[in-house]
Amino acid sequence: MNNISNFILKFTQVDRRWIFLIIGLSVLLPLFFPIGLPIRATATTQKVYDTFESLEPNSKVLLSCEYGPSTKPEIHPMVVALLHQLFREDHKVYVTCLWPDGQFMAAEALNEVAGLYNKVYGNDYVILGYKPGNEAVIKGMVRDLRAIFSTDVKNTKVDEIPMMEGVYKFEDFDFLFSASAGFPGSIEWMQYATDNTNVKMSTGTTSIMVNDIMPFVVSDQIQGILAGMPGAAEYEKLVGKPGIGTSGMDAQSLAHLVIVFFIIFGNIGYFIERNKTKKY
Amino acid sequence: MIFNEIFGAWIAVFFTLAIFSFLYKDNPFYKIAEHTFIGVSAGYWLSIGFWTIIQPNLLGRLWPSEGYSESSLWYNIYNIFNTLVPSIFPDGGIDKGHSMDLTYLIPFVLGMMMILSIFKRFSWMARWGIAYTVAIAAGLRAYGYLNSYILNQIKATIVPLANTGYPIFHISEPSLLNNLIILIGTITGLLYFFFSKEQTGNFGKLTRVGIYFLMISFGASFGFAVMGRISLLIGRFVDLITYSKAEHHHATLWILVIMVIILAYSAFMDSKKPKNDNI
Repeated sequence: MNNISNFILKFTQVDRRWIFLIIGLSVLLPLFFPIGLPIRATATTQKVYDTFESLEPNSKVLLSCEYGPSTKPEIHPMVVALLHQLFREDHKVYVTCLWPDGQFMAAEALNEVAGLYNKVYGNDYVILGYKPGNEAVIKGMVRDLRAIFSTDVKNTKVDEIPMMEGVYKFEDFDFLFSASAGFPGSIEWMQYATDNTNVKMSTGTTSIMVNDIMPFVVSDQIQGILAGMPGAAEYEKLVGKPGIGTSGMDAQSLAHLVIVFFIIFGNIGYFIERNKTKKY
Repeated sequence: MIFNEIFGAWIAVFFTLAIFSFLYKDNPFYKIAEHTFIGVSAGYWLSIGFWTIIQPNLLGRLWPSEGYSESSLWYNIYNIFNTLVPSIFPDGGIDKGHSMDLTYLIPFVLGMMMILSIFKRFSWMARWGIAYTVAIAAGLRAYGYLNSYILNQIKATIVPLANTGYPIFHISEPSLLNNLIILIGTITGLLYFFFSKEQTGNFGKLTRVGIYFLMISFGASFGFAVMGRISLLIGRFVDLITYSKAEHHHATLWILVIMVIILAYSAFMDSKKPKNDNI
């Protein structure tokens, strides 16, 4: 017993760089040798999917991209999978961005997907682009969208864009999806747009934001949530378009197992050390 | 593949590996990446701020192309700017789809007053602009928080308790038991932050329950944070694998090998140096 305790104590004092290396390998190896662990949609992901499936064809969907390269691995696969679903159902997609990087991310996703469904810029989708001002932009869109977006990202006047006909304010959209990695993002859309109008919203967020958004999902202020990379993988499965989210899940699962192992081992070491140093 | 893409890949690989090299120890590669990132970020945000806010939204409303007239005094001032910086003030006014709105002179003046804070003598002027910004933000957010965070959340916490259509128990869907847990968690969590009464006796037991709920919440947050970081690591590894292929001239492998050799040589040389025990 003493030998095991000593071994654990010695193990807990290992150079932290070995831990980094093991975590790195646990992420890297499954990317080369996929295990193919099963992916099942959680209730919140299923809700997002069902909500979009229940929209009438040709619905006007506002897609707001609030993420950049730093959070691309988590959010981008969601946006790509969602665009597959939206274009398959012939919905009109309007892209706005509260983050400057968002419009580059949106353009990349649209370039990847729109052509597969023969969708035409200006008729089936449009990138209205980035507008600075955070909540003020959202409030402005609720009041008068065209006062905020006078041109699209290609500098075409919105009056000249065919699919902008009949779109004058936020309430002219049928649904909002916020792909959000922080502030301003989903919470601000909910506060200043959807909570004050009849338009409903869903969201896809980074893992770190899930706990902040979940109370609003439970209270139905937000219709479902795609939670980080697992949420993206689940959505890819529901849409039937496996991508980077799906391929990353093996690495994600294995890395979690290794981290849980280290946490348990570290705690056992802590308790052994505490018992040994107890004087009374 | 075009040169720009290959060059971009090599740059991306260098900076990714340079940042990762910090896991070994602080080193010049990491410093280069850190300093470049901060410098590029500052430049990027300045550029984005100018070309998406100041030029189209402010200057574009003060001197829009709509209503441009060479005989007007206002546009004669514009033409002077046009001669000096034509990229910002193009010929015939700024065409961003806006009409002239001279009320934008107010934010223009407030902005100038904020910039004047760099001179000690005029630094007091910055207060006006800051006061305006803080007041607007406070007013805008107060309403949003009150409606979404307080009213709707209280409604969502209390009302479902009376909904008899819910099952007694369900693991992930709304149920009477889940709603009861949410109610208990909310009330005991709030009680923990009530410091006007000593947390002893029955009150102390209730606040103890609140602590447990808070701990579970923090644990979930930690779990999600770890998940997010691993996702980002996966993203970088996927890119590194992509850039290690022949079409990118094996950028990952080359840079990794060169970096490891340099760091190993540096460690070897450091080991030869006499240790200073006087520190």
